[in-house]
Amino acid sequence: MKKFLVLLLVFVSALAVFAEEVDWAIEDVAGKPGGTLFLDTTSGPKTMNPAWAQETSSTDIIGWVLDTLVHSSNKGLAELPGLAKEFSAKVTEDGKTVYTYVLRKGLKWSDGEPLTVDDVIWSFEKIWFDENMTANGNAGYMDSNDELPSIVRVDDYTVQFIYNSKFRRGHESIGWTEILPKHVLEPYYNEGKFQEAWSLAELDKVVGSGPFVLKEYKEGVRVVLEKNPYYYRKDKNGVQLPYLDQIIYIIVKDLNTGRLKFEAGETDIYSPTAEEFPEIRAMAEEKGWIVKQGGPNLGSNFVTFNFNAKDPVKRKWFRNDHFRRAIAYAIDKQTLIDVLYNGLGAALYGPVSPSSGFYNPEVENLGFRYSLARAKRELKDGGFVLKGGKLYDADGNQVKFELTTNAGNNVREEIGNILKENLSKLGIEVNFAPMQFNSLVGKLVSTGDWEAIIIGLTGSVDPASGWNVWRLDGGLHFWNYSPEVKPDMYDDALKADYMVPEYEKRIDEIMRLQVTAVDKDELRKLFDEFQMLVAEHQVLVYTVAQNYLIAYKNTVHIYNPEPNPAAGVLWAGWNIWKDQ
Amino acid sequence: MLKYILRRIILSIPVLLGVSIVSFMIISLAPGDFLDSYRLNPAVDAEQVKLLEKNFGLDKSPVVQYFLWLKNMLQGEWGQSFTYQVPVWDLIWRRVGATLLLSITTFIFTWGIGIPLGIYAALHQYSLGDQIVAVIGFIGLSIPNFFFALLFLFFAAKTGGKYFPVGGYISLDYDSFPVWKKFLDIVWHVLGPMITLGTSGLAGTMRIMRGQLLDELKQDYVEFARAKGMPENVVIYKHALRNAINPIITALGFSISGLLGGAVLTENVFGWPGMGQLIIEALLQQDIFVIMADIMLASVLLVVGNLIADILLAAVDPRVRLRLG
Repeated sequence: MKKFLVLLLVFVSALAVFAEEVDWAIEDVAGKPGGTLFLDTTSGPKTMNPAWAQETSSTDIIGWVLDTLVHSSNKGLAELPGLAKEFSAKVTEDGKTVYTYVLRKGLKWSDGEPLTVDDVIWSFEKIWFDENMTANGNAGYMDSNDELPSIVRVDDYTVQFIYNSKFRRGHESIGWTEILPKHVLEPYYNEGKFQEAWSLAELDKVVGSGPFVLKEYKEGVRVVLEKNPYYYRKDKNGVQLPYLDQIIYIIVKDLNTGRLKFEAGETDIYSPTAEEFPEIRAMAEEKGWIVKQGGPNLGSNFVTFNFNAKDPVKRKWFRNDHFRRAIAYAIDKQTLIDVLYNGLGAALYGPVSPSSGFYNPEVENLGFRYSLARAKRELKDGGFVLKGGKLYDADGNQVKFELTTNAGNNVREEIGNILKENLSKLGIEVNFAPMQFNSLVGKLVSTGDWEAIIIGLTGSVDPASGWNVWRLDGGLHFWNYSPEVKPDMYDDALKADYMVPEYEKRIDEIMRLQVTAVDKDELRKLFDEFQMLVAEHQVLVYTVAQNYLIAYKNTVHIYNPEPNPAAGVLWAGWNIWKDQ
Repeated sequence: MLKYILRRIILSIPVLLGVSIVSFMIISLAPGDFLDSYRLNPAVDAEQVKLLEKNFGLDKSPVVQYFLWLKNMLQGEWGQSFTYQVPVWDLIWRRVGATLLLSITTFIFTWGIGIPLGIYAALHQYSLGDQIVAVIGFIGLSIPNFFFALLFLFFAAKTGGKYFPVGGYISLDYDSFPVWKKFLDIVWHVLGPMITLGTSGLAGTMRIMRGQLLDELKQDYVEFARAKGMPENVVIYKHALRNAINPIITALGFSISGLLGGAVLTENVFGWPGMGQLIIEALLQQDIFVIMADIMLASVLLVVGNLIADILLAAVDPRVRLRLG
């Protein structure tokens, strides 16, 4: 027995020698551990499988549970260390781009298994780089030659991704991708069932590396996240993070109920609508809330005109720069902001949100402010004539067109109504009829049978994520699809009439060049030009965006001093703490 | 009787088949499909959408899709949900508990209160009590459910959640409760949606009961029984009531089909995790197999509910029994 104990002791001490000390990340924060943060969400996660999750209801939760190599700064740029303590990008002399990531030592999955460079390699090789394994496909990891990088294991902690070309986007796409536990998911992969892994039936099998782990999910009721004991961050006093013991998302479908719950003190953070905001602000002092307003949200709403409308007369107008500029002058952005967002919004003039680090404020100087007089002048310059209160083009055709949007979206419907009214003052007859979302998408991307549409796209900090919209061969270049991309939309006559204006060619070129612009100044210059081109020609006529609005209890200490839509109020959530 | 039940079951097969064809057709006629949100997502390539179309079987014609669905369903496969990537049956099964709890308690509330009140109103026709009951019933009937629900929640929130919870299914510290308290907690939470749904059904049940009983009380056999000197209680509760209850039982058959249908608006406002929420999401996202499963389930329940109602009718009414023969 004694012998056995000695042996055990030797064994244990040997293990202790081999067990690595963690490369802690030290955060500049001094809070108090403990407590539960209560949040609300309109819907629970549909799946915890990051490769198949689409809605924010799923990805928000996954974001707590699965960590990435690199984290985003509070301006939404990929520049803070995550699972990787160091990272770098280098262009070699023969024109290759090498991204190097050095993992922390002593990382562990929430089940206690070590997290190694093999997990990283497996995640990319088997899942993220395989178009069949994910919902979004692997195009996001490809360079401009549609090539994926090769993965090189340098040593036990270092991994390199090597592109055969100059490519700057690799860092964001690789750095922000969830690393998956090979030891848990490989069996699913081998059985060809990866897509079903970590679905609702298997939530107890989820193993993560983020600050929190999924403890419980009662469908339609709540999601409970619990602190991950193996998380690799400490505060400046040496307290292991996260501070919070638990985060509980209460599922509240109805927005009115969500507000009632916040007012009753059942939830800690609330995102008021613009309509509610003044009321919430008025109650804040009495209730002990902190109310904040950030920059405009990243998404956009714009009017787009079909350069290849079925009617040859109409497509001539829509391709006319003066026509679109006139429309831009006719959009009363300030009234829209007042009516739709209670004054809590911003006018958009170009394709990049003012909240993005890449925003070029020059676009505002182009002067597309509301002015019917300037709209009239533009129309005149474009060869249009106003006769008897009606507008005619140079060939004598009366200007009238169909405008639509997806029914049920109040913002877009209101934009449509105001636009219709303002355009009637210019003698333009607009038939505005919102339709069901799916019909609209069908017209937009399959049949091409539309004239003008008010729609929006999800935005992001980096304009390059919209390459699919801006490149001439892009799948969302809906206002002027190339006949090669959408052969079904074109008959012979239309195909003969297909044309690409100079500015479109240059935008396309920029979208290809920016991919290789590893140099930051060079990149900024390209994006500045891109924004000016889109704004100057009003390729898409941008409207307005709501500001980022939040209210939270003063017992909650969020970490981001100025919450903005790029990082959100929950940014660096491991640093959030709560007075008990 | 057994022969009758068997015949009814066989006859229901073409009905269900017809329902499935019509509903599948309508779903297919609706423009677009589940992948539309992918199509407008700048992060998703057009090639990728094509690949997903193939994986989900959305590239086939609706007719082929229908027969594939039918074939799978006959083998007990209800298909996979696109959004959740789990079998549809699994998804529904997870929601059945909450929905049944709500619909059964609502049922008990509506009928348990509605029938006695209806009888009371009939026996005291035009009295003050009758009038009050009628007014209360109509108020419940005329206030829209979602509005009533919001009023209820507003009251709960303003009183700080002391008397009623501000929506939801369970309390925050539910997990630490002993079993009896867990039970009470759920009952406490079901009160809101139950009262909301129940009050709107109450007036109907009450008025039918009242009208039917009044009709019966005017019949000759009641006069005859009274004239014979039969005690009033026996006349009313044994004879008249028994005849008056027929239409109520028929209505009961229908309400069985509603058991799983849920009440979408009320569930949404109260955050009740029932099937209503699931279905509305599936409809919005065109998650075909979830919608089909729900429709088929509701149709089966309608058929079964009617059958049960007929059997119950036969049990209480000898005339029906004779016809069934």
